[in-house]
This record gives sequence, C-alpha cells and structure tokens, in this order.
Amino acid sequence: MMSEFDVSLYSDIEPLPIETGLDNELCQIMYTDEYKQVIGIARRLISNGEFSERALDLTSCVIDLSPAFYTIWNYRFNIVTALMAVSGDIEAFLNKELDWLDEVTLNNPKNYQIWSYRQALLEVHPNASLKRELPVLEMMIDEDTKNYHVWSYRKWCVQKFNDFTNEFQFADSLIEKDIYNNSAWTHRMFVLKNLTSNKNEDNWNEQLKKETIDFEIEYAKQKITLCPQNVSSWNYLRGILDKYFDEDYTINGIDEFAIQYIDNIFEKNESELTETNSTNLPQLKSSYALQFVADGYSRIPDKKNMAIKAYKSLSIKYDPIRRGLWNHMISKLSA
Amino acid sequence: MVETKKHVKFLQRHLLLLPPKAQSQDPNKLGIVYYAIAGLALLDESALSAYTKNKDWIYKHYKEFDPPSNSKRIAGFIGSQLLSLDGQVTINLSNTLFALIILNIIDDCDGRSKNINYEHIRNFVSQCQVPNGQFVSSLDSFTGLPSRVDSTDLRYCYIAVAILYFTGCRTRANFDKHIHVESLLAFVKSQECMNGGYGEYLEAHAGYTSCALSLLKLLGCEAELTESFRWHTITWLLDRQVSNTGCMSLQEDNQNYEQDDHGGFQGRENKFADTCYVFWCLNSLKILSPDNWKSLCEINIAKEFLMDKTQDKLLGGFSKTDVDDPDIYHTYLGLASLGLLDGSLNGELCIPTKYQPR
Ligand SMILES: [Zn+2]
Repeated sequence: MMSEFDVSLYSDIEPLPIETGLDNELCQIMYTDEYKQVIGIARRLISNGEFSERALDLTSCVIDLSPAFYTIWNYRFNIVTALMAVSGDIEAFLNKELDWLDEVTLNNPKNYQIWSYRQALLEVHPNASLKRELPVLEMMIDEDTKNYHVWSYRKWCVQKFNDFTNEFQFADSLIEKDIYNNSAWTHRMFVLKNLTSNKNEDNWNEQLKKETIDFEIEYAKQKITLCPQNVSSWNYLRGILDKYFDEDYTINGIDEFAIQYIDNIFEKNESELTETNSTNLPQLKSSYALQFVADGYSRIPDKKNMAIKAYKSLSIKYDPIRRGLWNHMISKLSA
Repeated sequence: MVETKKHVKFLQRHLLLLPPKAQSQDPNKLGIVYYAIAGLALLDESALSAYTKNKDWIYKHYKEFDPPSNSKRIAGFIGSQLLSLDGQVTINLSNTLFALIILNIIDDCDGRSKNINYEHIRNFVSQCQVPNGQFVSSLDSFTGLPSRVDSTDLRYCYIAVAILYFTGCRTRANFDKHIHVESLLAFVKSQECMNGGYGEYLEAHAGYTSCALSLLKLLGCEAELTESFRWHTITWLLDRQVSNTGCMSLQEDNQNYEQDDHGGFQGRENKFADTCYVFWCLNSLKILSPDNWKSLCEINIAKEFLMDKTQDKLLGGFSKTDVDDPDIYHTYLGLASLGLLDGSLNGELCIPTKYQPR
C-alpha cells in the first residue's frame, strides 16, 4: 500500500533542491540522500502545478518522510480533486484515497494533519458513511485510548452523520477497560448533551430525556462506588447536575450518596479540624466526595457551616496541595 | 538549582548542525530556533549577541505574495527553505509568529525592520480566518484561499491574534480592522467545557485553555468571561496539579498516575504530569487571577517538580516527564514556567518580558 519510490517515473523532472549552506544558517539539517531526492522532485512538481497519478504517488513518499509538511497535504488534496473529476467514479476514487489514509494513520498516530485531511475528504465524498470510519477509529483508540485528536475526530463524525446510536455503548466499553479514561467520560457527556439538545427534539420527548438523565446519574454513582477517588466520574456527575439541575447537588438525596464517603466529618468540632489534629482524623476514600458536598452545600445558606467544615478538612488533610483554593473558598463563605 | 550553563549549551547545540532525524521537523524549523533563542534570552543575555548576525538568515524566510484570490498583498514567514517555492503561497501562521518573536529578540530594531511589511502580514492573518470565526494556519498554495485540509482550532486562533498584537494591534477597534473579532469570540465561547477549561467537544485541555485565555487577554476581552465559568476554570486548573498527599495517593490502580509526579501539572484529568503543562496551567491561572495566582496554587512544589524531576542535570534541557529524554520544546516551556514565576516572561506572548513588543 505504501508507495515505493520509483525514480524512473520522474526521469524527465529536474529536481528543485532545497537551498542550503546559506550564510549564517541555523539548525542546518543533515539530510539523507533519499530525503534530498524525493523532496527535490516534489518541490519541482508543486512548482509546475502537476496534478497527476505519479504526483499522487510521490506525495505518499513525502508524507512518509515528513508528515508535518503541510503544503504537501494541500498539494495532495488538489491532486485528488483533479483526478477524481476525471476518474469516472468519484466514490471509488475517494474510497481508495481513504484506504491509503487508513494506513498512514495507523503509522502516524500523533500526526494531527491526518484528521483534518480526512475531514476534507469526507466533505467531498458523495456517499460518506460513519460505518466506513468506525474500524480505523476503533483501532486508533485501542492503540492509544486517550488520543485527543482521534476522539475529536470521532465526535466530529457522529455529529456530522448525526448518528449517536453506538456512542453510549462505546464510551461504556472504554470505561469498562479503564475507569480513569477521561476521554471516554467526556465522550459520554458529549453524547448526552447532543441527544438531549433541542436539535433532537423529534425523537426525544421529555419523558425519554428524563429517563436518560436519571440513568446517567445512576451510571455515574455506580462507577464512583467502584472507584471513589476518580475525578472523571465525579466530574461527569457534576456536569449533569450543573446542566440539568441548575447546580443543585442535593437533588434526589445525591448529597447523602456522597456523604457515605466522608465518614462523619460534619460531627467534628472546630478544634478537631486543625492541622495539628489532622492525624487523628479518619482516613477517607474520596476527596472528590468531600469537595462535591462542600461545593453543593456552599450554595445553600443554612448548610454553609457544613461546607466550611468540608473545605477545612480538605485543606488540612484530604487534599492539602490545593489548600490555597480551599482556604479561599472558606474566606468567601465566611465573609 | 537551575543548571544554567548546561541549559545554555543544550540550546546552543540545537542551533548547530542537526541529525537526519530532524528532517521530520524541517517544515517548522523556525520553531526550533524560537525555543532555543527565547530560552537563551531567559538564561543568559550574553549568549545572545552571537546570534545577532543570524537575523539576515531569518529574513530569508520572509515572503510576500499577491494571491490570485485576494486584492491585498499578503506576507509572512515560511518555516524553512524547504518551503521556498516561487509563486506558491507557503507561509503559515505558526512560523510567522516564531519569526516575529525571534526578530524581537535578536534584531534590535524591535522587529520593525525595513525588510518586512506589517500591513501585509496583517492581511495574511485576515486571509486565514474562515467563516465560523476560526483560523487555518496556511493557505492553498495555488489559490491563496484558506487551505481546505488544514485543521482549525484554538491554537491557530491564538497565533493569529498574537501576530496581530506583534504587528501593532492594541485595541478592539484595531483588531476589528483585520479580523472578525465577534465571530472569533463566539467560537472561543463554544469551546468552553462544562467543568471549566477549554477544549474540543467538552474535553477540557490545558493547552487549549492557555490559548483561549491568552487570546482573550491580548484582545482585552477577559472581562467577557462569566464569573461562574471563570471560577470553574480556576478550580479545574488548580485540580491539574498532581499530588501524592491526602486522598490523592489512593489512585495506585490508575495507570496514568505516578506518586513521583507530585507538584507537576497534567494537561487533562487522569494523565501524567508533564513539564509543558506546568506552563499552560500557570499561564492560564495568572490570566484569570493576576493578583493571587501564586497563593492559590503550590508554586514551590511545581518548581521542585521541574528542578528535580524533569530538569536533566547531566545533559542540560528539560524533558516531558522524569522518564523521557530532554527535548527543545519542553526545555523552553520548562524555562518559560520558571520565567513566569520570577516575572521574566510575558506568558500570553510566551516571550521574555525584556523583549516584548512595546
Ligand atoms: Zn508536554
């Protein structure tokens, strides 16, 4: 699949070498002979504006050597649009291009130019489908489960095709594999937000919306139970409560759920919640539970004292690295 | 202790002959020059004078065009001679910003050399804006229209605004002359994430967060943030400081958690700490809370993370984490983090304060 460089195809092309050895040059690179040869021909073809089959082959070789070379991606796209117009079968031509890109993608997981190139191809493809994209996405996420660009591309795709059917399940399978995978958690939030948005009103009546949100709260709680000190699952829960319940962290007794992780910290008196006494305080399973309760109660006038106690215990024992933040919250509440 | 001498040597080495594996960085070579020169400016002024003469070589990367699609003449920088192709529009935003910063440091005429035309550079920036307010980094080399295969995201939005700042824009009215600020702001707002921070499709990312906040600061628009989002973001950023104290040590089963990362910053939830995110997080915090960012987070242990974990005391340079080899990018961002803390670096422009444009 990867193009072998066949110099005989370009025997009529006089290479346009990179000017080097300039006065006061910095960072001079010791180019390999292969690089010099391939780049020299490519530079000449771009200058000539040649949109041909052999030019297409050559861009594959250049991309192998230098995937960050943005002009070559742009050149390739120009060649593709020119050739597909005369190919007689635009769809087949673009599918072949996507096949080529799949392979480049698997060899260059960190290159982000690949994904915008892919988007450009799908935008001109007469019959693009999500199904065609799923296998490569699956492989890429398998290889690097938190690759930001791959996740972004997946979300771009499901939005473009407005097909969210597999996405809760997909996020769940990744969370199953690694409960700490923040990309999977935020993907889930992206799906929830899209499904419950006004755009989807037709298929989503209020009842279904409510059931889904309730289910997601239970989902988050269940994952928190499995692993209480996990910022991603707590953020998911907070996101839902912020968006759908106006930042109310006491709805349906959810504060009671969090309180089970913070022992009876509220029963401690002021003198017990001090740095010197901190070793006598119980071990807790989750600082995020404490923070959740603190933030929730700080918004309720007659629970402010409990919020202060919670911030205080975060500061002296359970998350002391952020004591600047906790102390700031305490002074805001005490004012 | 900062191993100043070793870092100076490390940076100087990157300006000399580079091995073949640097070929993959050829298109953005001015990036290497920027990190090395700006790093030297932070470490040792006296090491800079040797590079004054190289400004002529930098100017060789400056190109002007009359693209067929646009009546206005445009100009900018290419990243290396690889992209010097007669008649082809190959300049891009990133390399233009790198060059402007380098020239501000090594050319004493404040970058405003007779060799370059600020008006044409601003025309290039305006040509890169696409209808939804975002920016591409480069143009179609044949037509001069925004490239259809380029990614558009907060990085290029930031770079576009920073270039306009370097070329003289200081007020909203100034910026509005060249770009559509309102649609840019709408795009930036669309990247706000629910738990604070900025990112694509709701996954907040410290790098994008720093880009978004820096560009708002340069535009003079920080005040447009809602108080609620501002606090969510401050909290989100503070939460990125990795800790091994209190309950935080209970994450032993998290494959992306390391006790030794204590004090460092991560780019996203449940990821390892990384030198560059110390910079992106601290810069963001400084913009959001200019008066008390240093008391909100534990800057001393952040410093210890850089000094004891990612600084290479033998070879010089900083690495991404304590298990990687040092590289030029993390070296500059490590030094930039320290510069932010001691006041010698302008964070939103990522340039030593001494050389920031007036
Ligand atoms: Zn990094």
